[in-house]
Formats: sequence, structure tokens, C-alpha cells
Amino acid sequence: MSSLAILLSPILLSWKNEFLRKGERKWPRRTILFCLGLGFWAGIYWTARRVLIYFETVHGLGPALAYQLLLIILLTFLSMLLFSNLITALSTFFLSQDLDLVLSAPTPSAAFFYSRMIATTVNSSWMVLFFSLPIFAAYGSVFHGGILFYLWVILVLPPFLIVPASIGTLLTHLLVYFLPARRIRDILFFIGLFAFIILYFLFRFSQPERLVHPEAFGHFMEFLNAMETPSSAYLPSSWSAEIFASALFQKKVDLWFFYPLLLSYALFFPLLASWLSAAVHLSGWSKAQESRQGRRQGYLLDRMINRIIHPFPETFRAIMIKDIKTFLRDTTQWSQLFLLLALIVVYLYNFKVLPLDRSPIPGSTLRTVISFANLGLAGFVLSSVAIRFAFPAVSLEGKVFWILQSSPIALRSLLWSKFWLNLIPLLVLGELLVFLSNSLLRVPQWMMILSLITIFLMTFGIAAIGVGVGALYPKFDYSSAAEIPTSFGGAVCMICSIAFVGVTVVVEAWPVYLLTMEGLKPGSFNVSGWVIVPSLAAVLALTIAAVITPIKLGLNKLDAMRN
Amino acid sequence: MIRLENLTKHYGRLAAVDSLSLEVQPGEIFGFLGPNGAGKTTTIRVMMGILRPTSGRVALGGYDMEREPEKAKAITGFVPDRPFIYEKLSGSEFLKFVGSLHRVSAEAMQRRIPELLEHFELIHWKDELIESYSHGMKQRLVLCASLIHQPRILVVDEPMVGIDPKGARMLKDLFLDLAKKGTTIFLSTHSISVAEEVCQRIGIIHRGKLIASGTMADLYRLARVEEGRLESVFLDLTRDGTS
Repeated sequence: MSSLAILLSPILLSWKNEFLRKGERKWPRRTILFCLGLGFWAGIYWTARRVLIYFETVHGLGPALAYQLLLIILLTFLSMLLFSNLITALSTFFLSQDLDLVLSAPTPSAAFFYSRMIATTVNSSWMVLFFSLPIFAAYGSVFHGGILFYLWVILVLPPFLIVPASIGTLLTHLLVYFLPARRIRDILFFIGLFAFIILYFLFRFSQPERLVHPEAFGHFMEFLNAMETPSSAYLPSSWSAEIFASALFQKKVDLWFFYPLLLSYALFFPLLASWLSAAVHLSGWSKAQESRQGRRQGYLLDRMINRIIHPFPETFRAIMIKDIKTFLRDTTQWSQLFLLLALIVVYLYNFKVLPLDRSPIPGSTLRTVISFANLGLAGFVLSSVAIRFAFPAVSLEGKVFWILQSSPIALRSLLWSKFWLNLIPLLVLGELLVFLSNSLLRVPQWMMILSLITIFLMTFGIAAIGVGVGALYPKFDYSSAAEIPTSFGGAVCMICSIAFVGVTVVVEAWPVYLLTMEGLKPGSFNVSGWVIVPSLAAVLALTIAAVITPIKLGLNKLDAMRN
Repeated sequence: MIRLENLTKHYGRLAAVDSLSLEVQPGEIFGFLGPNGAGKTTTIRVMMGILRPTSGRVALGGYDMEREPEKAKAITGFVPDRPFIYEKLSGSEFLKFVGSLHRVSAEAMQRRIPELLEHFELIHWKDELIESYSHGMKQRLVLCASLIHQPRILVVDEPMVGIDPKGARMLKDLFLDLAKKGTTIFLSTHSISVAEEVCQRIGIIHRGKLIASGTMADLYRLARVEEGRLESVFLDLTRDGTS
């Protein structure tokens, strides 16, 4: 067996063993995950197809719009791949736990480089590949690309994935050579995060929805200008788009120029990266061993935390302090708050730009209807946040769980402390979202009060489902905290949480309808505000069940783990 | 002080611990020896309430681990074989956390934490995040944590892994000192020299069963070997074992 095959064998064998392992009930999970994946794939295909069909109906502009969209998609994929490869290469080449073993063996440097490069490419690219295939399929079916288009997809995608992987690997080697690897991960993470937030804002605030309303533009040329996307002739995404355009839109493209160009990049950059790796990898890896020493500071913060959690019992406080500090000191965890902030800003901005005046329905009625729908939406946002923060709460104990297990505290205390710790910020977020969006909508007072009470109750359920299902499906053997929400339990948690939000909204729908109609045509239904009370009582009962059941199930599961 | 009665733990069909019974007196250092995979760590995890026994009973200080786990754990300190701890806390924060779990008063902690850190030569590292500690330092920090509430029983799993000779000497002296003050120590180890040096009684576990237990003299008699050769006793008794 060649050195390269030997070096890749642990990865392949791990996959094989994971897939074929017997004696465990993995197949139901796999089936559900497969179905979820298939559903997601179908959803992307359907959406992309709908958009492209709509574009096609715009007389004379369809292919141009679709081409611009293809450019944007490929450019997005390329930047995502480049960034993802930068981070993955850092792990595979410099921080991976098996490096001691591999590099202490007589491993040829080229075999080492290419095995790591393959691992980096596969790890960074599979998700982009997964998302891109239904999009390409939609393009092929709408614009009748035929077999030639799919052949080009098969030929273009490998070099398109290899180019960012090799450039990412190359840049990582240079960065590690000059900076300690553990710092780079944080720096890259922040650069990526801020770049994403800025792109997100730019995209949202440019109001892309205007593109599908050409009547909003004063002049045809103005529309065309708005539609133009910056694209560079030097980017592999542009070359790939050109190649695809030849098969999709019968665009005249010099294929003998663009494809060899793409291929030459895909051959040259790995070679360049391998030379650089042979020259600098060892010294970069040596630097990566240097442990980061973090001296603890911030006594003011300690005092603040102590004050906030003062009302809780002592053991709750101990667990809460530990959880807060661990959270605040882990860059990958607390920095997600920026994403959350961006999400809130765009969420509220969407309410500000709602074209309520263009609707044929009276403004006040529409505001109430949107505000009610917003309850479900806010519940969905809270569920997504809970998946990221509340669901992993138990799993994050990981290999350290022995400390709590061997301490004189009941597991009950552990779960409840995590529940309260997650509930408080979720409550603030939920109330803030609903209050601000309702204020922007200028809803009637009764709707504001009802929304604030409902979201208050809903948050209790969502936090408990997050923590409880997190305990029901703990994932203690994670290598990165980001794996926890994407586990099978994460999907179960999301489904339960959304079901709870949905039922809550449905329970309140009828009285809200009556009150809205009464507002629209006074005296038509002859109802007062009290009509909402039975529904609120039902929501309260539902919330109590949603709090107690998952926590109890989670407790039983943690207790059963001792078996 | 420690009482195991017919303790059995099955993993599927495999009996990791099989009808194990033993008793350890107050102030005694009991060495628990066995080859790899003999069931030492499983026994300890059942003793600490981390695993539930398939059958049998564990009592620590008279408290049944299944019926009164909180009371049993409150008087016990535990040092696991692998010191996984919260990497993002500083040494002193970790000790405060464990102290709080054991309901040690703030005043007592204020006195006890520097004392322990000083004793284990970690005082200069108290404000550093644990992620920057070496393996040996983490091991010493876990020992500090296990002693923060002045336990009456100390359960230690493989204490010498990753500890340098100076640290090992410090540990042995600590065990002897604690035992002198009345702490009962249950010490699981592969290290025959450690067992010989500090333990008053030794139990040898093999394939989940306690195959021998007693003082050194009892074991020499049992294995019919000369005095001062515990290694021969161990090898003789676990001859068909997996080491």
C-alpha cells in the first residue's frame, strides 16, 4: 500500500466502521437523517426551480438574470470554500491530535501533504457540494441544459473545489509560519464572522426584493444597472459560470480557454502548496505546540455575575458561574452573539420595510395579523437560539461530567440550573423582539399585551425543551461544540420546539381572529378581551407540560446513563 | 468505612465486576491491584455512583450509594484516572466550583484553597486557565479538588499516571499523612511499588473477581512466595490474565 493510502486509511476505516457498526440502533436515526437531508435537498431544488422559472417569464431578461444569479452563487460558494478550507487546514495540518503519531513515523512529506490536503478538501467541501447539486439540477431542468450541462458540472466541480482548498492550505501555512496557530483560529473566526455579518447586512439593506418588482424602477436601464453583479475575470467562479452558461444559455464561450485555465489552477496551486508545506510545515507545527497561557482577570465581571445569580441556591450558583465563565472564555461560543445581534437587527428591519400601505386589507387589521404571525416567527427564532445555546448545555459537560456525577448534588439541580441560566437571556431576547416589532407595527394595545404574555410563556417551554432534549440526547464525545446542535438530538429538539410554538399559536388563533374582526367591524362578533382568557389558560397548561416533560425525560435519561 | 457487598456490574453479557465484596476500615489505606481490564475503574465508578451496579451494594461511611447518594458523596473525595477538567476555568475558580458543590463555606474555602494550592505547588498558577496546565499539574489540581471538603474517604484511581518522581513522593506522603489523620483511602493502581510502600491491605482483582485480599503477609502466604516480592504474588495470582 502506498504511503498516501496508508495515511488516508484511518479516515476511510473510521467511516466504514461508523457506517457498518453492528449492535447499535443507528439505522432509525440514519433513516430520519437521510429523509431530512432528502427533504432539504428537495426544498432547495424546488425553491431554485421556482425562482428560475419566474426569471424565465421576464421577457428577454430571463437568461441574463439567471446568469447573474449563477455568478453570485458560485462566488458565494468560492468564498465560503476558501474560508472553510483556511480553518480546516489549520486543524488538519497543525492542530490535529494524530499529528504526533503521524509525524513521529517515517512519513514522506509529499504523502503527508496530499493526505492532509485530501482530508481538508473533503471536510470543507462536502456541504457546498451537497447544497450546490440541487441548484445545478434546477438550472439544468429549467434551461434544458441537457447531458452536456451535467457533464460540465461533473468536470468543473472537482477543480472548482480543489482551487480554494489548495489556496486555503497555502495561506494557512504562511499564517502559521508567522503567527501561533491557536491565535490564528480565533482571528480567522472573527474575520469570517464579521465578513459574514457585513455581507448579510449589505445584502439585506440593498433590498433584493426590489429586483422582482421591475415596476419599482423608473427606467429599464436603471433596472439593468441594479441587476449587475460585480464579477471578476480573474476568479474561478467566473470561469465556471462562463462554462455553465455555454451549455445553459447557449452563450458563446471559448471553452478551450476557460476549462484549461480552471484545470491549470487546480494543478498548480496544490503543487505550490506542497512545496511550501515541505519548507515550512515543521517549524509551523512546532509553533502550534506552544500552549496559550490565559491569565484570568476581570474581578468586576465576577462581581456582576455573582449579583445576577444571587437569588439562586448555592449549588445552582456554582454551576451557573462555571457555565457563564466557560461560555465567556470560549471564543467560538460567545462570538455567536454577534450573529444573533445581526439576526435581530435584520429581523426588526424587515418589519420597518413591510409594504403595509400597498395591501388591499385595512392597515390595522393587517398589523394585527402580522403581529400574530410574528409570534410564531419569534418562537421560531427563539427555538433556533435555544438549539445553539440551551440544547448543548448538558453535552458541553463532556468528559468533565464525572465531576458533577461524583459530587453531592442531585442531577435535578444540574438541569434546573441550566434551564434558568438559558431562560433568562432567551426571555430578554423574546420580549425584546416582540415588543420592538409590535412597536414598529403599531399594533393595538390588546395585541401587544397578548403577544408579550404569550412569548413569555413560550420562552419557558422553549428553554426547557432545549435543556431537557439536550439531556435526553447528550453528545459527550464531541470534538467541537458546533457538532452538538447538528446531532440527531438537535433535530428532535428543533422539531419539538417548533411543534410547541405551532400548537401555542394555533390555540390562540381563534380568539385573536374574533378580536381582529371585532376591531374591523365593531359589533359583528360582539366579543370582549375576555375571550382570550381560556386560550391563555390552555397555553399556560401547555407551557407547564412543555417545561416539566422534557426536563423529567432528560433527568431519567441522565439517571439511566449510570446503567 | 467502605463496604462493598456482592457488587456486580455487567456490560451486556460481560461481567466487568463479579460479586465483589470487601470492607475497608477507617484510617486504612487499601490498595486495589489488578491487570488492565480487570475491573478496577468500573468498581470505582460504581463506588462513586457514576455507574449503577447490576446487583450488590456500596456503602460509604455507612451511607448506601443508591439510597443516599448525596450523603455518601459528601464525605468522599474522588480522583479519576484521567483528569478531564474545565479548561476555561482558572485553578482557583475550579476549586471554588468543586467546593461549592460540596457546600464548603466561603470562609473555609478562602482558607483552604491557598493552603492546598501551596501544598501541591500550584499557588503561582492559581489564576492561569487550566488549558495551560501540564498533565501532572491537572492531576495535582484534581487532587486539591478532591480534598477541598476534607473528605473522610478518598477514592483514587491510578494516581501516579503522569506524575514525576517528586510529585509521586509528595503523593505517597500525603496518603500516609491523611490516613494518620483518620481518612480512609481506597487506592487503585497498577504500581506494585506504590502499593507496597503505602498500603496496609491489598486486594487483587482479576476478571472482575476479587481473587485475594489481605495484608502483605497474608498475600505472601497465599502465593507461597518470599517476603518483599509483591510483584511475584501479583504475577502468580493473575497468571492467566491480560496484562
